Amino acid sequence: MLWYWKKVGVKRIIEFVLLTVFAIFFAGPLLNLLVLAFCEKWNYPDVLPEAWGFKWWNFVLAKDDIVSSISLSFFIAAIVTALSIVICIPAAYAFARIQFPLKRMFLFSFLLTHAFPKMGLYVSIAVLFYRIGLMNTLLGVVLIHMINVLMFMTWIPTASFRNVHRAQEESARDVGASPFRVFRSITLPMAMPGIMVASVFTFLNSLDEAQGTFLVGIPDFKTMPIVMYSIISDFPSSAGAVFSIILTLPTILLLLAAQRLVSADVLASGFQTK
Amino acid sequence: MSKEWKQALAGLAMVLPSFAILLVVVIIPILQSLMLSLTNETGGYDLSRYHVLFTDKGMRANILFTLRITVITCALVLLISYSLAVYMRFNQGPIVELIRKTYMIPLFIPGVIATYGLINLLGNHGWLARLLEHIGVTLPRIIFDEKGIIIANLWFNIPFTTMLLSSALAGIPSSVIESAKDVGAGRYRLFARFIFPLSYKTFLVALTFVFMGVIGSFTAPFLLGANSPQMLGASMQQVFSVFQEREQAAAMAFFTFLLCSVLGAFYIRSMAKEENVRM
Repeated sequence: MLWYWKKVGVKRIIEFVLLTVFAIFFAGPLLNLLVLAFCEKWNYPDVLPEAWGFKWWNFVLAKDDIVSSISLSFFIAAIVTALSIVICIPAAYAFARIQFPLKRMFLFSFLLTHAFPKMGLYVSIAVLFYRIGLMNTLLGVVLIHMINVLMFMTWIPTASFRNVHRAQEESARDVGASPFRVFRSITLPMAMPGIMVASVFTFLNSLDEAQGTFLVGIPDFKTMPIVMYSIISDFPSSAGAVFSIILTLPTILLLLAAQRLVSADVLASGFQTK
Repeated sequence: MSKEWKQALAGLAMVLPSFAILLVVVIIPILQSLMLSLTNETGGYDLSRYHVLFTDKGMRANILFTLRITVITCALVLLISYSLAVYMRFNQGPIVELIRKTYMIPLFIPGVIATYGLINLLGNHGWLARLLEHIGVTLPRIIFDEKGIIIANLWFNIPFTTMLLSSALAGIPSSVIESAKDVGAGRYRLFARFIFPLSYKTFLVALTFVFMGVIGSFTAPFLLGANSPQMLGASMQQVFSVFQEREQAAAMAFFTFLLCSVLGAFYIRSMAKEENVRM
């Protein structure tokens, strides 16, 4: 944009300062945890640690409840992801391709998951779960994890199914493919990127979910974020930093793997129509 | 059975399982907490649980505190995110490319981790304090009070809001902007007449998300906030889990629903309108 760059000078300096503040604000906390996790000795006014090492990694990995929280988190996230794929993908296909009564009402009803403040919703759910005996059960935790993902797990795949051209499906039918064959060989592969993105988000979302689990899963379902709550108050900051990295690592790896598929547009389509 | 009937049944059968989950985790809990919040201590129905919200000194302070934080955060988030989204839409170059590639990362960082990182960076004797000490500046107390909660909420909300807004701005055709410029529209005119009107809907959706996100937040106020006044999210959890007053917790939850009802209804309506055009 030329009209903008013509006014270089003070503008560029302001721009530079703002962007630096921005970078420090967003990257600083994460970078700080990274440094803390590998430091062994760090006296107060020093800017960098005096001794580096893996002392706190050994400390954290030797704690049984911490290690078991990792496997519990992955176990729950896997269940939530599998369950939401099985339940939501057929619904998404129906929304995109099939005419049935009250279709609009059903599609919009998924917006309800995002039309209420989260903690209020979790407390309401906890009140219900208390009454029907789902507090401190695996089913209760899985259900509360599904609230956040129901919407983008139906909306993103719905958008992907819609984007598959009907002409392609029809021409496959014309050469004699059965409806199921068309779905498996044409529709599903073409909608796959959207489904993959939604599934990755679902997995990550469940891995990171803290507030709902804190309400309904205590005391038996201590997932990683819940353990993190207590680590923050009970352990030195280096131990917390090590655990933060362990908790963030799966996210970073999965995102790198799915990098090609994740874009602002796909993400935004899970929350609004365009 | 006719073909339409078969289709209709198949469609319903495919949608019902996910709707059933929605029923259990959203619709029934909300109706139930409404009912529960209307029961009084003797088992009858009245508004006494809501009465407490406005007469109890601590509770009233919590509500005002929550609203204050929410309004401040919304204003800051929208201002910063909108500027950033506009900046990314109308500038090119390596810096913009870098922001575009990285600004979504915080979306995927667990809230607990981000809050913990902020505590370590900005807290007493934190990294920033150490760095500033070297150039002779003492960092004032900025975390563990309302500033801390606002800072954490900025961290959580700016990336998401920027994402929504830049996706809306990307939808504005460059030709519209070029032709406006050709007929001599200045930068502010361009913004007021074209860019903002073409993206204000997403702007409102973003406002809805931030508003509800902050009112319903728990992690930041739980880890950073003082014991009183508390944000409603943290206070609700305490009333439910520690004091075990489920009716009162339900009333607080429903009160936050009421606070967000206008924006929530707007969100569903505007989504529904857009979708109707396409169905």
